[in-house]
Amino acid sequence: MAPTKSASSSKAAPSSSAIHSLWQAYNDETPDRLKFVDAFLVFIMLSGALQFLYCILVTNFPFNAFLAGFSSTIGQFVLTASLRSQVNSENKDEFKEVSPERAFADFALGSIVLHFFVFNFLG
Amino acid sequence: MLALWSLLLPLAGLAGLVHAKSSSGDSVLVVLEPGLPKEDFSVFFSNLKEQGYDLTFRAPKEVTPKVIEDDIPAFAHVILFAPESKAYAADITPQSLVTLLSEKTNLLVAVGPKTTPLTSLASEFSLILPTPNTPLISHFPKRDTPATVIPIEVASNSLLTAGTPPVWFSGVSYALGNNPLLVPILAAPAESFASDSTEDSGADALVDASEKGGEGLWAGSATSVVTGFQTKDGSRVTWVGSVTLFSDEFAHKALPNGKASGNEQFAKDVAAWTFQEKSVLRIESVSHHHVNGTSTPDFYTTNDEIVYSVKVSKYDPKTSSWKPCTCRSDIQLEFTMLDPHVRTTLVADPSDPGSYTASFRAPDRHGVFKFVIDYKRKGWSSLQSSTTVPVVPPRHDGYPRFLSAAWPYYAGAISTSVGFVVFSALFLAGDVRDVKKGKGLKHE
Repeated sequence: MAPTKSASSSKAAPSSSAIHSLWQAYNDETPDRLKFVDAFLVFIMLSGALQFLYCILVTNFPFNAFLAGFSSTIGQFVLTASLRSQVNSENKDEFKEVSPERAFADFALGSIVLHFFVFNFLG
Repeated sequence: MLALWSLLLPLAGLAGLVHAKSSSGDSVLVVLEPGLPKEDFSVFFSNLKEQGYDLTFRAPKEVTPKVIEDDIPAFAHVILFAPESKAYAADITPQSLVTLLSEKTNLLVAVGPKTTPLTSLASEFSLILPTPNTPLISHFPKRDTPATVIPIEVASNSLLTAGTPPVWFSGVSYALGNNPLLVPILAAPAESFASDSTEDSGADALVDASEKGGEGLWAGSATSVVTGFQTKDGSRVTWVGSVTLFSDEFAHKALPNGKASGNEQFAKDVAAWTFQEKSVLRIESVSHHHVNGTSTPDFYTTNDEIVYSVKVSKYDPKTSSWKPCTCRSDIQLEFTMLDPHVRTTLVADPSDPGSYTASFRAPDRHGVFKFVIDYKRKGWSSLQSSTTVPVVPPRHDGYPRFLSAAWPYYAGAISTSVGFVVFSALFLAGDVRDVKKGKGLKHE
């Protein structure tokens, strides 16, 4: 019993330390702006997960409302994720023609169109 | 003028009381074959005349008066007392009799043991006649008449007067096919059978036939002697196995127990049903509307609550008028698009005599629907009604909106939008700060 226990704990120790070092590296090396974008992403993800759970566990009626609410979170997540990758200074080589201002304008326009469709579909 | 009317109206009412007439007309053609003088049936005929029928007599081979001319029947009812005639004038051949029936003329037909065109017509009405010249015979009850003259107990039947005494019968019985339009009126006695001889010398053949069973044996109460048939058009034809059933001789003949026979009453009842005095229903009107409304809409929406009502009346021969009838409890309504999507009982409305109502929810299905009443019961005239209504899906603004069940979804969508605005504002604000920072750095 004892060896397995120690083995599992010794296994758990490196993985937890890996997560720990990942978290540390993220905290240290990510700019504040990207952390802010990430916070928004997490908020959207939680919102989408909650709606999906409600749909599965409680009711999918009215289905159009579910589709609108859920797809608004998905769409917003995709748009924000692309914004994040475009404003990340480490990706500058990949998006040479896209300035951060241009990226934000794309993001804002895409989001406004998305929300227009969502609210049309919601009622 | 008004005074004249007030005088005339009670008189008309009185006349109605005296004359019990048919719902479909009063003119009757009686086709009597030469061997049957009409004096022999004076009781039956005078009863009909008393009821208000107009009798016209004619022999089978006479040409006038025509029964049907230019495809228009000249009489409302035809009595065919010609059980032995083999030839008829052109207008009363079996084919033209069928035409008469489809033109809503009623027929009262007597057949006998002899083969005539009429007996072959009978088989078209699902009556299976025995071989020719085999009249019905019964040795019970013990009596002093020949074995072919039989008193038949009248089983209770909604078409007949209750408590009718046994009737004398001398003629032919027939088996009944499984046609649903047949209305058995009088069955042969259980101990009777069809035989070609009045003596018992042919008994062996009968025993053989009964051992084989089935075809070839016309015996017992499964065979019938008086049978009605109501066509799909509503006309009625009654096949009687004996013309003597209607005769004065049998009407006055005492039963073996000394009491009067029921022939007179029975003949009256048979004629009353055949000539559409009895058991005649009709639909006066139908209406339908929403549960909360009163006017008939042009269309219904799926899942609407619908009320359908129908007024049924029954012919009352005593007053020659149609009276509201709350007498049926099994009328059904179907709401049909190809198949009945809803089938429900129409319940009699106690506050409104003759009115039957059903209330139901329209199915969740759009299309062209029909309210269908198709009421067919043995002995009763059929009720048929069909009303077409479209059932449409809700309009774009006809759906319920902002349901409480959907609030999590609404909250999700709104929070994403608000989140987007707040995020944009903070992101831009951060950008400005960064730019300032960057500029400051450059300056430094």
